[in-house]
Amino acid sequence: MYLVIVGGGIVGAPLASSLINAGHEVFVLDHDPDTVASLQRDLGMIATVGEATSVRALQEAGASRAGAIIATTDSDEDNLVACQLARSNFDIPRTIAIAHSPENAELFDIAGVDLVVSATELVLSNLATALPAHPLIRLMPIADRSQELVAIKLPAAGTVIGRTLSELTLPYGTKIILMVTAEGQSKTPDADTLVEAEDQIVALSPANSTSELWKLLTELR
Amino acid sequence: MNVIIVGAGHLGSSLARKLSDLGHRITIIEKDPKSVLQLPRGRVDSGVMTVIHRDGSTGVAMIEAGIANADVFIAATGKDSLNGLAAQRAKTIFRVEEVMTAVKGEGAKTLYESLGITTINKASLAGDRLVNLLTEEK
Repeated sequence: MYLVIVGGGIVGAPLASSLINAGHEVFVLDHDPDTVASLQRDLGMIATVGEATSVRALQEAGASRAGAIIATTDSDEDNLVACQLARSNFDIPRTIAIAHSPENAELFDIAGVDLVVSATELVLSNLATALPAHPLIRLMPIADRSQELVAIKLPAAGTVIGRTLSELTLPYGTKIILMVTAEGQSKTPDADTLVEAEDQIVALSPANSTSELWKLLTELR
Repeated sequence: MNVIIVGAGHLGSSLARKLSDLGHRITIIEKDPKSVLQLPRGRVDSGVMTVIHRDGSTGVAMIEAGIANADVFIAATGKDSLNGLAAQRAKTIFRVEEVMTAVKGEGAKTLYESLGITTINKASLAGDRLVNLLTEEK
């Protein structure tokens, strides 16, 4: 597939390289001549100097025949507008953008960007999996971010340990999907399922109830 | 009317001054303390104009500027894409009735107008005006 990448910096450059290795035809647009020169040195004549938000630059990058545009600059506004201009002027089939700020990720969704990569969410979820405590791990936003799939590991001395699921007052709209014991055995959750020390719980929860759920499940005795 | 203007550069500050002359309540969002100096000092000090020192494309700045009660939102920074993002947030998230944005590029004009956002192109306005003046003189 022919792909236009906007921004050839720390995200765009390695992305271009791996997409080329995966057999795609790639063209990178970046406003900085030094960045473009370094891309050309490493990957050949696949980059040009141009503004992400210039219709002419997008045209010169071949937006009219591209299968997708991937906006990876460090400026959220440039990423949004590059995608929108590519869609409105060249009818590009797929728009993908990085949003550095979480509130912009939400706006990008509403503004019609097909795939929004939220940098903050990525970092948070990676940090969360690396932390030893009992964090809320955000696995995936669902249904336009109104709901979230989350995982929580229960502390051994939590107030919920030893109770059944029907005894817990979960936040409204929250559904427990899966429980995995400390030994790695999965349990299909129903009303009588016993909550045990160090269980991992995977739940679908309204986005604004996830911290309430986390508090309930990790509260210590 | 309650008017929020993002950016206190040449366009933003002269808009603020003119709209304030007409009796509108103006709130300007500008993160650069130097640009704020272009605003009429007396009106800022007396509270006729309010200045919010924040990044004007963010929701928190818009809320602080009182966007819930804004009749008009004008994105007037020097950067097209920043104006575009701010204007879209004002329109789609905060549902401001009248949203305007300054643009330089023609491609952006079509895009924003399709979203119900009015565009102001300084260069083409000035060009039209000059052409009119020249034609009138004939």
